[in-house]
Amino acid sequence: MARTLLCLCVLYGANARAVTIIVNPSVALTSVSQNAVRSMFAMKLLQWPDGQPVRVFVLPDDNPLHRVFCKEVLDVYPYQLRQTWDRLVYSGTGQAPIEVNSEEEMLKSVANTPGALGYLKKVKPGERVRALSVGNSARIFSGE
Amino acid sequence: MNRPNIKVRAVMLLALAGHGMNASADSLPDGVQIHGFASQAMISTNHNNFFGNTENKTGFDFTELGANVSWRFNPSLQLSAQAISRRAGEADNGALRLDFATVDYTLHASENARYGVYLGKIKNPYGLYNETRDVASTRPSILLPQSIYLDRIRNFVLSSPGVAIYGDNTLPIGNLSYQFSVIKPDASDRETEGTFLGADRPGKIKADTSYIGRILLEPGNSRFKLALTGVSMRAHYLPGTADALKSGNIRFDSWVLSGQYNAENWVFTSEYAQNRIDAHNFGAFFLNRTATGSSYYIQGAYHLTSKWSALARYDVTYRDNNDKDGRVFSALTGAPAFSRFAKDMTIGLGYKLDNHWLLRGEFHRVDGTAWLPYSDNINPAATSQHWNMWLFQAAYRF
Repeated sequence: MARTLLCLCVLYGANARAVTIIVNPSVALTSVSQNAVRSMFAMKLLQWPDGQPVRVFVLPDDNPLHRVFCKEVLDVYPYQLRQTWDRLVYSGTGQAPIEVNSEEEMLKSVANTPGALGYLKKVKPGERVRALSVGNSARIFSGE
Repeated sequence: MNRPNIKVRAVMLLALAGHGMNASADSLPDGVQIHGFASQAMISTNHNNFFGNTENKTGFDFTELGANVSWRFNPSLQLSAQAISRRAGEADNGALRLDFATVDYTLHASENARYGVYLGKIKNPYGLYNETRDVASTRPSILLPQSIYLDRIRNFVLSSPGVAIYGDNTLPIGNLSYQFSVIKPDASDRETEGTFLGADRPGKIKADTSYIGRILLEPGNSRFKLALTGVSMRAHYLPGTADALKSGNIRFDSWVLSGQYNAENWVFTSEYAQNRIDAHNFGAFFLNRTATGSSYYIQGAYHLTSKWSALARYDVTYRDNNDKDGRVFSALTGAPAFSRFAKDMTIGLGYKLDNHWLLRGEFHRVDGTAWLPYSDNINPAATSQHWNMWLFQAAYRF
């Protein structure tokens, strides 16, 4: 009974998440820790465990999905992420992620770029990107 | 003035070309990015001059331009360089300068830790805003709080040739990052000379090996930022012909404690700094001087909507903690006592048109002239203690 309840909670949690982390199929991982995702979107962790460079794609700061992504996945405000990237770009210590203008462009870019990392509302069957599960949910599953 | 103007146009052209290229990222080689910024301000004061001839007039002599290119060869190696041109009244003439030219080599990177080295001309970590202080949209206001980010010694603190080690660690409490640099700062300009030696002297100040470092802790998933900066700079003076000053030594030591709280709609920031300026062995016409000064500001910024934001700040600086009202200094040197402190009440309003354009207006009510530019106010006796300043600025970034 408790186990069913836990499963329901996990399912509910998974459905409640309005954003999915996506990667190019060249990325061998199926799940990553929240720390790793944060470091990659902060442009500090620049390679996948197999050495392949990470190519980060984001939607514009004021895009509703970008706001949801910042809040639910990274737990930061969009303006904080912009500050992080500005510091890198204007002090010569890093680069900004590549900005795409729409979810269609996001899907296309991540599908066509080896090592790409981005996000969408949902991955539909047949699309040439893979969903990547993040952090806590992965731990709950392995705990069962 | 002609040559800088040509160079400035070249920077602008490069910037616009870069913008065009970023818009269609395919035209740039893989791993290459070009970014830039531009701003133009209007400044008016009721007394004293700030960045140009502004007393009861409107000055347009504050312009910032910059463009950079970075090349990420692989996950552990990046080369970057940025050129800037800054006009700021008589203090800065818009000549093109190399702001940074940095080799960034990451020695280790994993999801919880990273460290590496910077080599070349590198940006100095100082408080929360120094590294990107010329990019208007990264500042909370048109002018940074002048107590901590004194524009008089900006070249000295901004960026320097040297080597640095840096790192990040994810700790249970939050992210910890650090940078320690060994540098040779630029101390050759008039404003730096004025700050250390009271006036533009016939000789030149040459910097010696100096150190700057910062530790930054970001608890609560970066909701909080806590930073400690330490600076130890050394320089010596090369007397000019018929110079009353001997070849003395200058020491500048400073530490800054910074704190910030980031909420969804507001940001609260405060920084406190102590600095000690020590000038000795300059001979009978410039007696040994040591003064420990302190500065702080408290600042609140509020996002009224996604486009409008408001700011209020109180900013205080004392050149000498033992002579806060400047009377002793005034009796000794004849300079106005109020040139040894400044208390600035600032309010501002910003409007973000989009992710590139930003418009700002702000008002300063100031008591004291401790951070008034020397070059715009050659005669200290003609300055006033109580003064107001209006600024408007349009800024662009990509």
